[in-house]
Amino acid sequence: MKRQKRFEKLEKRPVHLDGFVKEWDDEGLVAMEGKNDPKPSVKVENGVVTELDGKKKADFDLIDKYIAEYGFNIDKAEEVMAMDSTKIAKMLVDPNVPRSEIVKLTTAMTPAKAEEVISKLNFGEMIMAVQKMRPRRTPATQCHITNTRDNPVEIAADAAEASLRGFPEQETTTAIARYAPLNAISIMVGSQTGRPGVITQCSVEESEELSLGMRGFTAYAETISVYGTDRVFTDGDDTPWSKGFLASCYASRGLKMRFTSGAGSEVMMGYTEGKSMLYLEARCIFITKGSGVQGLQNGGVSCIGIPGAVPSGLREVLGENLLCMMIDVECASGCDQAFSHSDIRRTERMIGQFIAGTDYISSGYAAEENRDNTFAGSNMDVLDYDDYCSMERDLSINGGIVPIHEEDAIKIRNKGAKAIQAVFDGLGLPKITDEEVEAATYGSNSDDMPKRDMVQDMKAAQDLMDRGTTISDVIKALYDHDFKDVAEAVLKLAQQKVCGDYLQTSAIFDGDWNCISAVNDTNDYMGPGTGYRLWEDKPQWDKIKDIPWAMDPQHMDF
Amino acid sequence: MSEVDELVSKILSQLNNGDSSQSTGTTTASSVTPTSSPANSGKTFDKGDYPLFRKHPDDVKTPTGKAVSDITLDNVVSGKVDSKDLRITANTLRRQGEIAASAGRPAIQRNFQRAAELTKIPDDKVLSFYNALRPFRSSKQDLLDIAKQLRDTYHAPVCANWFEEAAGNYEISKKLKGDN
Repeated sequence: MKRQKRFEKLEKRPVHLDGFVKEWDDEGLVAMEGKNDPKPSVKVENGVVTELDGKKKADFDLIDKYIAEYGFNIDKAEEVMAMDSTKIAKMLVDPNVPRSEIVKLTTAMTPAKAEEVISKLNFGEMIMAVQKMRPRRTPATQCHITNTRDNPVEIAADAAEASLRGFPEQETTTAIARYAPLNAISIMVGSQTGRPGVITQCSVEESEELSLGMRGFTAYAETISVYGTDRVFTDGDDTPWSKGFLASCYASRGLKMRFTSGAGSEVMMGYTEGKSMLYLEARCIFITKGSGVQGLQNGGVSCIGIPGAVPSGLREVLGENLLCMMIDVECASGCDQAFSHSDIRRTERMIGQFIAGTDYISSGYAAEENRDNTFAGSNMDVLDYDDYCSMERDLSINGGIVPIHEEDAIKIRNKGAKAIQAVFDGLGLPKITDEEVEAATYGSNSDDMPKRDMVQDMKAAQDLMDRGTTISDVIKALYDHDFKDVAEAVLKLAQQKVCGDYLQTSAIFDGDWNCISAVNDTNDYMGPGTGYRLWEDKPQWDKIKDIPWAMDPQHMDF
Repeated sequence: MSEVDELVSKILSQLNNGDSSQSTGTTTASSVTPTSSPANSGKTFDKGDYPLFRKHPDDVKTPTGKAVSDITLDNVVSGKVDSKDLRITANTLRRQGEIAASAGRPAIQRNFQRAAELTKIPDDKVLSFYNALRPFRSSKQDLLDIAKQLRDTYHAPVCANWFEEAAGNYEISKKLKGDN
C-alpha cells in the first residue's frame, strides 16, 4: 500500500511504542464488566454466608471463604444487595450524601456488587467520588528512593531532598537483595535528616522485610501482595490466612502496613479464571478489608501495562482506587510503575488521582532519575519535578510535592550524606569518604558517584544482621557523631512505634510528629466550601506558589 | 462480632494484668514483663482519645513498664532504654483497636487483637508461625500443633483459632504439605 504521509508521521510518535490490545474476556483481558463476571448475589443463613456472587458455599475457594467470613458486614448485606446499583453510584457522586453514609452501604456489599456500582461511573464522576471518599482529608503522595548500585550515600541524599520536597512516605528496595539492611538504614537516616516525621520502608521478601521492621530499620511496609484468584494467590506463596496473619505480625511490632494488589496481576501470572480486572481487584480489596489492614496500594501498580492496554483500562484503574477508598481503606493509588512512552499519556495516567487527591497520589514517584529506579521505573521522576509543581500551581491542587530552592537542596543533601557517613562509622560499616559525600551532594544519578566496594558492603550488611544491630545502635551512632537533631528524629520515630497512633487508617506525620490520619483528619468533603482546599491550607499554598523560576514583575531589571 | 470483641478484650486485659512470665528463652525481644497499670481495667478508649501520644502520653507504656516520655536521647545513649523498650504493648494495641472500632473500623480492631497476642511472642517464633501458614508448608497436624502452642504457651486464643480455621480450610482447598 502506498503510505499516507500523515499516518507515517503519527506512527513515529512515542505513543506508538506503547502496547495496545483488543479485549479477550476469556483470558481476563477486559477492564470491567467482563462477560464471565458473576452477577452480584448473597445469601445469609443463620449468620453464615451460604451464597456469594452466584457461588454456593460448597463451591467456595479459599478467597470466597475468607471474604464470606471476614470481608463484609453480613448483617446489612441482603438489604444493600437489594439496592439499585445506579442509585448507590449516584450517592457516591452526590456531594450532599456524606461519606459516612456511603461507607455503611459499601462495607455491606459483595465484590461483584461493588464492581457493578463502580461500572456505572464515568471518569469525571469517579474523580468527584474519589474527592469525597478518600479517607484522609489532606492529600499526600509517596516516593521511591533507589539507585542501581544501592549506593547508601546517594540513597541518604536523595531521601533528604525528597523529605524537603514534601513526601511523607518513602520506599526503597534493592538492586542486590543482600543490601537490604543498608538501604533500609540509609533511607531512614536520610529522610529524618530532611524532615522529621517521614516514614520509610524497604520492599524485599515478606519474611525478611518483617525482620528489618522488627529491628526498627523500617516504619511501614506495603508490598504485601494479595491476588484475586486462588491459583495466583498460591503462586504468590501465600493464602488469605497467611497474609492476614502477617498483617497482625506487623501491627504487633508497631509497624504500619498496607497490602498491595492491582489490575493485571492475574493476567500477568496467567490465571484469571476469565474474569475482568475490576472484579478480581474487588476481591483483593475485600480481602484487605477483611484482614483488618488499614490500607492498600492499588491501581495497576507494577502491572499497569495490562489495564493500560485495554479499552477503559485507566478508567478501571481509577475505579479500583475508588473502590478501595469507598470501603474506607487507605489508598496509595499507584501512578508508579513506568506506564507510557508518551508524555501526554504519562500525564493522563495520574490526572484523575491528581485532580481528586488521594491518600498518596503516587505510591512511588521516582525521587531519583528513572534510570536509577530499581522498581523498574516510575511514571514520573525527579526530572518531572518542575512540571509537576507547575501543574499544582496552575490548578491550585495539592499534589503532595513542593518546589524547593537549589541552595536548600544542596544543604540538605549534604547533611543527609554526612549523617549516613556518621552512621556507617558508628556501626563499623565500610567507610564513606568525604569524596562520596561531596558527590552525593551535587550529583543527580549513580554515575555521578564514586564506585564503592560492593562485596565489602554486602559482607558488612550480613555482619550487621548477625551482630543483632538495632535502631538503638543507629541512634547512638548519630548522637556520638554530633548529629543530635537527626538522632532525636530517629528516636521520635521509635517512640511513635510504641504509641501506635500511625497504625490507624491513612496515617502520616507532620514535621512536629503530629499524627494525621482518617481518625483525626477525616475527609469531610460535601461540595463547594467543604473538604480540603489548597488555598485554605496557607503554608502549603505559599510553598507551591513559590516556584523559584517565576519572575517577580514588581522587581524586574529592564 | 461485638460480643466476641468484648470477650477477647477481657481476656487480653486479664492477661496483661496477670501472669507475667511468658518467657520462652529463645530471644529477648518481647518476652518481658507486661505492664500492669490500673488503666487496663478502666475506660474504653474512643476516637476522642486519639492520638494517644498527644492525649494520653502517661497511659502509653513500654513493655518494661516505662513511660513513653522516658524514651529520651539521654536514656537511649546511656542504655537505660534499649530496643526492648521500643516496642508496642498488647495494652496499647487494644486501645488502638478500641479507637479504630469507635471510628467505624471493627476489622482493624480484630487485627489488633491478634497483634496484641503476638506482642508476647519472640520475633523468630512469629516469623516461623507466619511461614507455616504459607501454602504447602505444613501438614494439618503441624498447624493444629501451632494452634495448641499459641493457646497453651502464649495464651493467644484468637491466633490459635486463626490457625485452626486455616488448618480446616487448607485441608479442603488442598494447601497442605504434599498437596502441590
